Amino acid sequence: MKKEFIETRSRVVKQVRRFFDERGYLEVQTPRLVGLPGQEPYLEPMWSEVKEADGKVHRGALITSPEYAMKRLLASDFDKIYDLGPCFRNGEPWDGTHDVEFMMLEWYRKGISIHELMDETEEMTRSVLKDLPKFRRLTVEEAMREYAGVELGGLLGDREAIANACRKHHQTVNETDTWDDLFFKIFLSEVEPKLGEVPTFLWRYPVSMAALAQKDSDDSRYALRVELYVGSLELANGFVELAEPVEQRARFKEEQELRRSLGKDVWPIDERFMSALPSMGQAAGIAFGVDRLAMLVAGAESISDLMPIPVQERF
Amino acid sequence: MASTSEIKKGVVIQDPQGLWVVNEFQHINPGKGAAFVRTRIKNLQTGKTLETTFKTSETITLVDVEHRRMQYLFHDATGFTFMDKDTYDQVAMSDADVGTDGKYLRDGMDINVTTYEGQPIALELPRKMTFKVTESMDATGGNTVSGGNMTKEVTVEGGIKVHVPLFIKQGEDIIINTENGEYVERA
Repeated sequence: MKKEFIETRSRVVKQVRRFFDERGYLEVQTPRLVGLPGQEPYLEPMWSEVKEADGKVHRGALITSPEYAMKRLLASDFDKIYDLGPCFRNGEPWDGTHDVEFMMLEWYRKGISIHELMDETEEMTRSVLKDLPKFRRLTVEEAMREYAGVELGGLLGDREAIANACRKHHQTVNETDTWDDLFFKIFLSEVEPKLGEVPTFLWRYPVSMAALAQKDSDDSRYALRVELYVGSLELANGFVELAEPVEQRARFKEEQELRRSLGKDVWPIDERFMSALPSMGQAAGIAFGVDRLAMLVAGAESISDLMPIPVQERF
Repeated sequence: MASTSEIKKGVVIQDPQGLWVVNEFQHINPGKGAAFVRTRIKNLQTGKTLETTFKTSETITLVDVEHRRMQYLFHDATGFTFMDKDTYDQVAMSDADVGTDGKYLRDGMDINVTTYEGQPIALELPRKMTFKVTESMDATGGNTVSGGNMTKEVTVEGGIKVHVPLFIKQGEDIIINTENGEYVERA
């Protein structure tokens, strides 16, 4: 912990609020503790118990992201909202880029395209980190071609084809590896480390990694998902939001299935979220790691430097 | 078979293409996907280096390597030369293979060297090493605040620069953590 880093983090948080307040966004303080947290297969919520006065007990978890609550607000007539507060993810490495409790910014806006979402993300980032070069926009397909020499188009949805690409690129292939696992072996080895210093939006992910993103209407093998990398740190993850309940339910069921097959805990689909979804309309939103942004501003090497009490000293 | 949790610098992985020493590794949690270990590995036969990424849940084959007590002799155009303390055999490692660990080597020091079939493949530096401060400016400009304490930059033997508390003076011995290059305490 360094005093000037704590001061930097405080300034960054103030600047983020100023940016959205000046643009007419409403700050919403959504709940941290909920009954049904997000069910992303590779995120682990932290569970607790909530007791009523009469002794009735509910299972509760700290949110991994405020996404469900914010989408319910969009469905109740809010158009431009942001949430800035801690989120919690269990089981992640204490490696200098993660903390179990971290400051997450999420914002949503109705009626914007993925390019407008990238425009606003770049403007927000620049309002905090002034001297950045112009951001690049690369589709995942372009990035795989440029850095790994892999033509992703022919591999989509074809496990054997991507397994062969892995073998050619000296990656291991195991029977239990999913298409996504094999994609990540190439991506993490040959693409992510080479993105370099120019801030880069990677967008248009294979539809198997769509999560809560809409399919691209130009090519339904891809989803309108975007991630921002600055200085080799992944700062943000955004979607043009899926608002279609049948498709959303199918994806939630697939995620539950994957969690089960990985031996992980599974809980019911949030039906209040599901019933709000049809009223949400067209919207885009993005989750942004504020501590990592502050790390870049401060020139800190570890997220622990920015925490008043780092994770290593809390547990 | 071994778990990916055993991957660290200097272990040797066997696969159908041969034997590979791990030069660098990093655990990665992309959030949108499973957990992985990204490695930079070097083929012991061909010298070819590449990046490869394992899912943390997969198993790998590690081969046995030897840990031998050696003395560091000198650095020259061929790299760093070491002598086996038992057999007096001399072996050399290139600058690239030694990497950033090289700055901590001092002529004549004892060090554990990982070898495979007699060839040195990795160094095992002591986690804490003592160095004499060779250059220390008086505490005025350039001071920074670290953890609420004022620090200054000094130079120690071997030209290594490190941030230390203001009370450290030229000629004193200090302990440095070789894993992160940070000051630990006065020796």
